[in-house]
Amino acid sequence: MSAPVDTKQYTVQATPEAQEAGAVALAVASLPESFGPAVGGNAADVVVIAGRPGWTADAAQAITAGARGVVVVNPAPENTESLQATAQRNAAVVVLDQRWATNPALPAVEDAMRSMTGRAAVLDTVATAPVGTDIGELLADHIAAVVRMAGPLANLRLVTRGPHGYTATAVLANSAPVAVQGIVTGARPAGVNVTLLTDDGGVSATLPSPVAAWPATVRVTGPQGELLLPTIYESAHRATWRRLKEHLDAGTIPSDLQRFAATSESIATLT
Amino acid sequence: MSSHLDAAPLGVGILGAGPVTQAIHLPSLARLGDILTVRHIMDVDPAVAESVAARVGAAHSTSLEALLGDPAVEIVAICSPHQFHAEQVIAACRAGKKAVLCEKPFAMNAEEAAQISAVSEETGVPIIVGAMHTFDPGWLAAQENWDDLPETAHTVRSSIVLPPNARFEDFATEIITRPAGGSPDYSDPEVIKGALRGGIMGLAIHDLPLIRRFTPDFKDIEVLEARHVRPFGYVISLRTPTRTIELRAAMNNTWKPEWSFEAFSDDAALRIDFTPSYVQAGSAVATFSKSGGTTGAVTTSLGPFEHNGYEGEWRELAALATGTKQPPPAQTLIDDLTFALDIADATVARFDARHTTLPAVPEGAHA
Repeated sequence: MSAPVDTKQYTVQATPEAQEAGAVALAVASLPESFGPAVGGNAADVVVIAGRPGWTADAAQAITAGARGVVVVNPAPENTESLQATAQRNAAVVVLDQRWATNPALPAVEDAMRSMTGRAAVLDTVATAPVGTDIGELLADHIAAVVRMAGPLANLRLVTRGPHGYTATAVLANSAPVAVQGIVTGARPAGVNVTLLTDDGGVSATLPSPVAAWPATVRVTGPQGELLLPTIYESAHRATWRRLKEHLDAGTIPSDLQRFAATSESIATLT
Repeated sequence: MSSHLDAAPLGVGILGAGPVTQAIHLPSLARLGDILTVRHIMDVDPAVAESVAARVGAAHSTSLEALLGDPAVEIVAICSPHQFHAEQVIAACRAGKKAVLCEKPFAMNAEEAAQISAVSEETGVPIIVGAMHTFDPGWLAAQENWDDLPETAHTVRSSIVLPPNARFEDFATEIITRPAGGSPDYSDPEVIKGALRGGIMGLAIHDLPLIRRFTPDFKDIEVLEARHVRPFGYVISLRTPTRTIELRAAMNNTWKPEWSFEAFSDDAALRIDFTPSYVQAGSAVATFSKSGGTTGAVTTSLGPFEHNGYEGEWRELAALATGTKQPPPAQTLIDDLTFALDIADATVARFDARHTTLPAVPEGAHA
């Protein structure tokens, strides 16, 4: 018989929109020692908001009202400077739950890609999303994931954009071309494919939608063969909540907002 | 299965005995000995002509006239450098042969293409162009099953990642006399433009007939972006009033090939994964996926089948030569060619000097 674990449980409250978009009930239920719903009229430790335009003000308001943590689901590009200051002042943790950029496989992809970007010949990436998806949101989520994996994109520019998707162009630090395409179709599961090629191999990653705990598939190819990185059966939603818990316990500030600011700046140039 | 089992195999003559003939056509023909047999090999290098002909027990020569004058040659395959194609196709038709295979591109401009078509019609000699993917059983199976996808698709992609040709040539045969590699001046924008044109006419051209099949308004093609990929490849964004088309290619030193064609509509998608050229690795696999509403996408795969598009070309030629099949409309060949030429011209025109720092290879980069 094991002794009970002494774990702090944080209470959670989500707006209806965020509850649905972030599958909050499932994520919280899968971390029952760490999180639980706020009961009665008690203020929650963690507030979950949807990332529609104006979310930075909503998040700042939640922090000043006493929230120790804020989860933002699918944040739209927005200036985060003021929110960063508010979070810092109140020692609050703000984490972003992004469709693809917060997939738990991303750190491994980032490591693999960053070690190759100096030798990159081309980076090709395609995002697919269901019919009816907001093209601007798709592009923002797509770019956020690519930047997270491959680093900053220079000369980011839209080539074409329409109801069926978009094509954008950029270059990596070594001037290798980056080709970005978004395709709206109901015939493929929503997801992002990224392939970085070098002269003798590369890295390819397939990131699934967070609606289920499908694992990302990450393959690293070199002269000796191909390595499939360990699969992680955890959705981007749950990985976000696990990260939130770590920061709340440790009293550390995540880099989500800083990183998001850099990506938002790139995306702003596209519109 | 052959439909000519009771007849003598048709005699084949091949103009040009370079790596494509050695590594692609002869191994393909070796699998079709019941319907086709090589009778004559011509190459401007007499030693190459003799050596390659000896492999298959065929006659050899160094001139077009000698091959066309050989009565044992009933079908002519033109595997010479691009600039000779038109002249040789016309000569083969006038020589009264039963069918002609011309490696792509079959002409260097629309005028030549029209001339060829006129001669083919006049002489009644059927011509096919060696766009091997259009003869791949995986593509043909997709064609049987794609419903209205060519009309409803809004996005088309061609993606090619290939090791150097030699890697697969050496799996297919024992090559003699590979062409020497050049040393292009990479600082010269004209060299890079030549490489982009070579990428279209030597590599993308394999799949441009497929793309055109999914692009009803192909005559209104526009190149939006064209970039070179080192050491050889391209990233090209195209559009018509109804289609977004993306072309990607990278030839490098990887061991891992990938050659795919994709088309997407709102509720259906097709992906075709082709096998590498040269090796006899069977057909492509075509995968359809359709929107299944709340139950997710439904996928169906067709293939792989036992032979590839090169063998498919030869089977088609045998059928044309014996009159059991009809040739493609001449306009199809002309439209395929002018589509490729339009894209090549527009790609070069779009080329931006900012992307001119990368190396190049000449046209005819890949079989």
